[in-house]
Amino acid sequence: MTLCANERARYRRHLSLPEIGPSGQQRLKDTRVLVVGTGGLGCPAALYLAAAGIGTLGLVDFDRVELSNLQRQVLFGTEDLGQLKVEAARRRLLALNPEIAVLTHALTLRADNVCEVIEGYDIVLDGSDRLSTRYLVNDACVLLGRPLVTAAIHRFEGQAMTYIPGLGPCYRCLFPQVEEGAVASCAEAGVLGVLPGVLGTIQANEAIKIAAGIGAPLIGRLLSYDALELSFTELPVSRRHDCRVCGEHPQITAPRDIGPACDTETLAARRLSAIDLRDLLASAESAGPPLVLIDVREPREFAARHLEGARNIPLRELESRLAEFAGAGDPVFLCRSGHRSLLACAIAWRAGIAAPGHLEGGLLAWAAEVDADFEVASD
Amino acid sequence: MSCTVHIPSPLRSYTAGALKVPADGTTLEEVLASLEGRFTGIRFRLVDEQSRIRPHIRFYVNAREAQELSAPVGTSDTVHVICALTGG
Ligand SMILES: [Zn+2]
Repeated sequence: MTLCANERARYRRHLSLPEIGPSGQQRLKDTRVLVVGTGGLGCPAALYLAAAGIGTLGLVDFDRVELSNLQRQVLFGTEDLGQLKVEAARRRLLALNPEIAVLTHALTLRADNVCEVIEGYDIVLDGSDRLSTRYLVNDACVLLGRPLVTAAIHRFEGQAMTYIPGLGPCYRCLFPQVEEGAVASCAEAGVLGVLPGVLGTIQANEAIKIAAGIGAPLIGRLLSYDALELSFTELPVSRRHDCRVCGEHPQITAPRDIGPACDTETLAARRLSAIDLRDLLASAESAGPPLVLIDVREPREFAARHLEGARNIPLRELESRLAEFAGAGDPVFLCRSGHRSLLACAIAWRAGIAAPGHLEGGLLAWAAEVDADFEVASD
Repeated sequence: MSCTVHIPSPLRSYTAGALKVPADGTTLEEVLASLEGRFTGIRFRLVDEQSRIRPHIRFYVNAREAQELSAPVGTSDTVHVICALTGG
């Protein structure tokens, strides 16, 4: 399908660029781009890709729009609160450009669905907020031979790199194995709202270059951006011959779920329901070994309300403060929703604590099942 | 003898928020010891008990990757510490 009169008018500024022109614009129209995560990075990336006339955009996200998203997730408005992100995003993108197709995938990528989703696209942008998803998407892109533009953010710092099959290092070459929980997430640490805008548009820029076949992508170059200094630093990254997925003797030949959330074989975490914990606390009071309750939320959340006897060690400090409670008994980690506490179990378990436990569902579950008056601060 | 070390965002809680800090040493190992002397606990976030560089950390000396702690560091060199970020 060639460009219609409307499209020629819409993309006039592209058509005047000799590097793009009508044939380049046609290439954009024929390209299918998948955006993994419709969050801080995915929103600006999708907005510019839609405006630029990428013919088919796919959006992956299972979350719904929350008020705290609106500080940086520029596809959404206040009226979208509670809506599925991919649906709200689709409406916004089609309002911007009705000439394109927007496909939604309201799901969590897993080993058993990642290839099916990615296969339908030519280029993948990763802006997810979980390391396990980053590895899953990377592995699927390597195995399926799809270019991948990855970016990540934290507070005032961002990173981006592009993988092109056969031409450069993949995400596993960059960071061979990262344990979830080793690095604090934005929910805990905060993020400057405009930061993902900078990195997300860089991702869109890379996708457009790859689609149009112009310029030099960020292959084998890690771009590191600091918003406070306003500095861009470029650092070389080589392919690892021993990379587990793109190396000479790959061990990963099919996507697989990783990360402590799925890795139940290796992580011996005790998962306690709110009722379990209540009973455990009652029996520890009368007899038995003392229960070591470690609340891994931020001090602000802890100060607002916490369980009696719990000690506050924010997740990001846990690794360096393990000695404070090692040997005192089996720790039980607590957080708001049960996500950070599971990561805490992984950290403790790797450090040699044999039986870390955590409150499944977090203090929200405690409030729902045990103590209705217990107010849990937002994260 | 002083080089400049760029601290990645997730570890700036150790440096009171400072992005660049001076450190002494003629090798990466000595630079880490110098950092540890001022910012207790930071070394363990970068290398493990066996002094292996953690898999989510990369070191660069003047924009060249240093894969061993024995890598030489010169006066006025710039050491970049890169940490995997997870946020999206
Ligand atoms: Zn690789």
